[in-house]
Parts: sequence; C-alpha cells; structure tokens
Amino acid sequence: MILMQTQAIFIDAYRELNAKKLFWITMLLSLLIVVVIASLGINEHGYTFLWFDLDFFPGPMGDIDPGEYYISLFSTLGISLWLTWIATILALISTASIIPDLIAGGVIETTLSKPIARSRLFLTKYATGLLFVALQVGVFSAASFIVIGIRGDYWEPRLFLAIPIVLAFFSYLYAVSALVGMMTKAAMPAILLTCLFWAFLFLLNMADGGLTVFKTQTEIMMEQRMNRIEQIEHNTIRLIRSEMNQEEAGSGEGYLPSEAEIEERNPFLPQIKRDLAENQAALKSLTLWYRIVYGIKTVLPKTGETASLLRRYLIAPEFSDETKVDSADPNVFLVNEEQLNQRVDEVYRSRPLWWVLGTSLVFEGILLAFCTWRFTRRDF
Amino acid sequence: MDATDAVIDVQGVEKIYRRKVHALRGIDLQVGAGEIFGLLGPNGAGKSTLVKVLMTVISPTKCEGTMLGKKIGDKSTLTQVGYLPEHHNFPKYLTSRQVLHHFGALAGVDRKTRNKRADELLEIVNMTDSASHKLGTYSKGMRQRIGIAQALMNDPKLVVLDEPTDGVDPIGRRDIREILIRLKSEGRTVFLNSHLLSELEMVCDRVAIMVHGLMRQQGTIDELTQGWSGFRIKAHTAISELAFDASQSAVHGVECTGKPGESELVFKTNNAHAVQPAIDALRQHGVVIESLGFHRPSLEDLFIQAVSKEPDGARPGAQKAKKGARS
Repeated sequence: MILMQTQAIFIDAYRELNAKKLFWITMLLSLLIVVVIASLGINEHGYTFLWFDLDFFPGPMGDIDPGEYYISLFSTLGISLWLTWIATILALISTASIIPDLIAGGVIETTLSKPIARSRLFLTKYATGLLFVALQVGVFSAASFIVIGIRGDYWEPRLFLAIPIVLAFFSYLYAVSALVGMMTKAAMPAILLTCLFWAFLFLLNMADGGLTVFKTQTEIMMEQRMNRIEQIEHNTIRLIRSEMNQEEAGSGEGYLPSEAEIEERNPFLPQIKRDLAENQAALKSLTLWYRIVYGIKTVLPKTGETASLLRRYLIAPEFSDETKVDSADPNVFLVNEEQLNQRVDEVYRSRPLWWVLGTSLVFEGILLAFCTWRFTRRDF
Repeated sequence: MDATDAVIDVQGVEKIYRRKVHALRGIDLQVGAGEIFGLLGPNGAGKSTLVKVLMTVISPTKCEGTMLGKKIGDKSTLTQVGYLPEHHNFPKYLTSRQVLHHFGALAGVDRKTRNKRADELLEIVNMTDSASHKLGTYSKGMRQRIGIAQALMNDPKLVVLDEPTDGVDPIGRRDIREILIRLKSEGRTVFLNSHLLSELEMVCDRVAIMVHGLMRQQGTIDELTQGWSGFRIKAHTAISELAFDASQSAVHGVECTGKPGESELVFKTNNAHAVQPAIDALRQHGVVIESLGFHRPSLEDLFIQAVSKEPDGARPGAQKAKKGARS
C-alpha cells in the first residue's frame, strides 16, 4: 500500500506540474540553452556561432581541447548561470504552492482521512517538489551530454553529477520555501522569503569570497616580502663576508652581521619589514573575519560551494608553484592575478565535501524535521 | 444500543483550542452498524470538529472509544471509512476519474479494483458522461457528486458525509438521498452531518443534536419526539389568563406548553379523553377553538427547541475564536 500511495502522490505531482505552464516554459528554456551551447564552438580562428566565425571576440589562449571547452561552457553557462540561478528561480515559483496546496482547506481533510501517516505524506509531497528540478536537470544534463559528445567528441558521464548537485542546491532553498509555506499557508510569502534568504546567502558568499581573496592576496604579499627580505639578507651577508674576505682573507667566514648593519646597506629593507608587519596585522584581522563568516556559513546551506562542486569534479585545477611578481622592480610587490585565482581556487577546493554538502543537508534536515513535526501536530 | 453493535462508540470527546476555546465539551456518541445517523446542530456547534476528530484531521484533547472496533486515531481504520468533507476543493486540474483514482490509491485500493469501482461509482452518481472533464469545469453539484463517489472508492463500511447536499439542487438532493438509501441497503453505515433537517428526517434512522460543543439529544426520531407530541388547540384569539388557568385545572397530570395571551396550547398526551375537560373549560370561558388535532413535532421543532435552550457552562460562539473550526 505504501508504494501505491507514494506512486499516487507522485502521479498527482506530475499532473500538477503538467498543468502549470511554467514547468514546460522552463523545460523549453533549458533545451534552448543546450541549443546555444551546441551552436557555440571553437576553431583555429577563435570562437564560432553555428557556421559563423565570431571575429570580434578574442580567441582562446593557446590550444584548447573542444571537449574541455564544452565542459567549461556547460559548467559556466549551463550550471552556474542557468540551472543555479534562472531555472532555480522559476522552479521556486513553480513549486512554492505545493505545500500550501497540500494544507489548503478542502483538500487536506480528504487526504488526511486516508490511511497514510502524516509524516510520510508531508515528506513524499516535499519530494515531489524536488521532482520538478530532477526532471529539469535530468533532461538538461542528458541533452548536454549528447551535445558535448557529438560536438566536442567528449563523452563525459560525470556531467550527470549535475543532477544530484543541483538537486541538493535547490533542496536547501526548497526546505525554506516549504517551511514558510507551511507556516503561512500561502505561496507568495514562501517565494519572497526564500528569495530573501537566498539573497542573504549570496551576500554571505560574497563576503566569504571577498575575504578569501583579500586574505589570500595578503598571504601572497607576505610570502613575497618574506622571500624578498630573506633574499636581501642573504645577499647582504654574502656581500659583507666577501668584502671582509677581500680585506683579510678568511675574516668574513662565519661572520653574522647585525640587523642594523644589513639595514644600513639596504635603505628600503626597513620599509619592506614595516609593510610585512602591516600585512601581518591585516592578515590577523582578515583571518578573524574570515573565521566568523566561515563559522556562520557552516550552519547555513552552502549554495555557492554546492553549485561549484560540479566544476570541482569536471575541471582539473591548474597548479603553479611559482610566486610570480608582475613587477620589474623587485621591491615593488604586486600580486599576479592568475596566481591569486589559483590560490583562491585551491582554498575553495580544499573545503571538504562533508562541510559543503553535509552541513547544508543537516540544515535542510532540521528544517524538514520541524516542518514534519508541525504538520503531524497541526489541526486542519 | 449495545456498544458492541456500534460502528462508532466514543465517550467524553473534548477539543480545546489554545487552552481556552472549548469546541467539544465531552461528547458521547454511538452509531450503530447499518444505520443512517444524522448529526444536527447550529453553526459553531462543533459538528465538523467532531467529524474531523473521527477522521484524524483534528487531534482531540480527550477522546475515548472506538470506530469500527479500533481506537479513534488509528489510521488503519481509515481503509474502511469513506469521507466527504464540507467545502471540499479537489484539484481543478484533475478529471473526475483521476480524482477517484488518486484518492482511491491513497485509500489503498489497487489499480484493477479502482478501474472497476470508478466506472460503477460514476454511473451511480450519474457522472459517466463527464468523467473525462476537468473539475474546474464542473458545477458545485457535480463536484459534490464526485466528492461522494470519492468517499465510496474504497468500498467503505462507514461513510461519513459532511453536508453532502450543500449547493446541490433539489433533483441532485433527491439523487443523493437515493444514494444514501442504497448505501444503507448494502449494509453500510452512514454518518451524515447536515443543516437540512427535512433531508435528515427523510433518511435518518437515528439523529443527534449538538449545541455549543455538547450533545443535547440522541436517539431515533420517535424516541426524541416522545413526550413532545400531544393535542394542539388553536384558538381564534389570544387565550385569557382566566381561560388558561381553567384549562390547566381541568386536566391533571398533563403537561401543557403555551402561556396566557397566546392563541395556541399543546397538551402533551396521546390520550384524547384526557384533553376533553380542557376543551370544555376553554369553551366555557368563551374561547373560540379554530382547530384541534394531534401534534407530532418535526425534527425542526426538536432542533429549535434544543438550540433555544442554553446549556450549562456553554459559551455561545466559542468556535468563532478558532479559524477553521467550522461546523
């Protein structure tokens, strides 16, 4: 009987989605995005659209494998822009009424009078909301898989990781929507408050991103300054010893000049040290704020990191061990953008999966547990 | 009624909202197997709340008893119960056949049985021709018919119908009455919650009257009217105090309703001989009798009488404080 009831709820959900034009609009838009991805390409001259060369766009740097190009396009255009932004908003609008409709007067009495446990009824109904996104992402991923396979000759089954990843991403927000829908019995507050919560998460991600960049930038500059100080000290000691040896052979061996002596010969060294001290103070402050934001994020859903998981699994990171300095003057310290991006990317990639998904799912679980408890206790 | 025969047997059902609004104040109720039972009461009496308690839609503050032999609140009982809620509003994107399949599946009816049952029920409620139309295109009466069919999908032993004739035209009401009689003939128990007293009077074996969350009366219509029937004397003009007193003195041990200044008196007795001295006394005092006959109160009379008497401790309009606690 459980299977029959679950099937009935899912069939009803499908009919409800089917009755909503927005479901099909979103599906068509999804396919349109795939068509756009399929239409874009690269050749030896640069980017192409259908059979036209897009000369006005700068071409890719170096040789890029068409497969990698399409994967990157799928990740940026398909996942980051379409599925985790626009399609998610459409999905939230489409599914926001599922829980309010369930508890609406005139329907809930009939449903509760059937031999089905309230907790199972609520959770199954919640799962039907995720069906919307599962269908959308499933179709999008399958279409993208075929397009990338044909156009890029790159058959990458990991593309289908988009389904659980986007589903997890959406489910965090949908849990909030379900909670608001349960409390207010209305779809509009559910949409508005969920979007507000999402905006808060977005701002938190922005703060985290900004702090990560500043912290990493400061760390790189500190590394550069420390390296420079070490280099100057090393060269100065060698020079002093060499001079002493010239004056009296062997007198310089083992000689360790004082700090003042070294600084006397290098007038810019104190400035570098002062800058390093400033960097250290800034890093301390940045680290404190970084930890606070990180701590807040730990207890909240990590929408940004979850959406980036696909990128983490599909696109290999580029490593650079060199501490590059984009300056002709060795005493002017500039952070190389590419290096900074790589280091920031490393920071994000180093965040464990249990932290990204696990803690987010715990948040969702707590919300769902509360909703279920409320639903089972409520009089209708 | 023997409690062992009862399909519904509950005692002391209480529902208190937010620790202050008493919707049900200790309801005792017995509904026998195979009977049509009618629950009456004014708005806010707690009828729908009681039905919802039975259907597990509302959790009672206190409730002892059984439905179909199982404790109230036991979900497994609901496989044998069909329910039509008041003001139901099934999804408009479904056709009536889909509604029957959906709620049939939720009630645990397998697909093969659902197909067969849906055809039968659509025929019974006279909706076969509209079976493939969406509910959004239906009239209130048509939706009500589908609601009743939905309640019967699981071939229930007990059918609970909350205002089944609400919004239904006279022909539709007659059809629903016929369905109720058919259900009874099939051995099912029907629990009916309605405002339409004449409808109930026509089909119910037993009725109960609820007022302000209390069960005021319960029994067959004959049982309830016993003691209220009698001879009604209607005078041409108002009966004077002198004539009234004389009529009272003429009969001993026969209760009389009516007051001096009114033109109607009812002597509560089935014995025509016992009333004769009163008639004589009235005539002797110049009262012109316009009509005289045996009076048997209708369900409406009983209802009005029950409702007009304020129960102890009852707080009129208590339900108003609770949204959704309709009756």
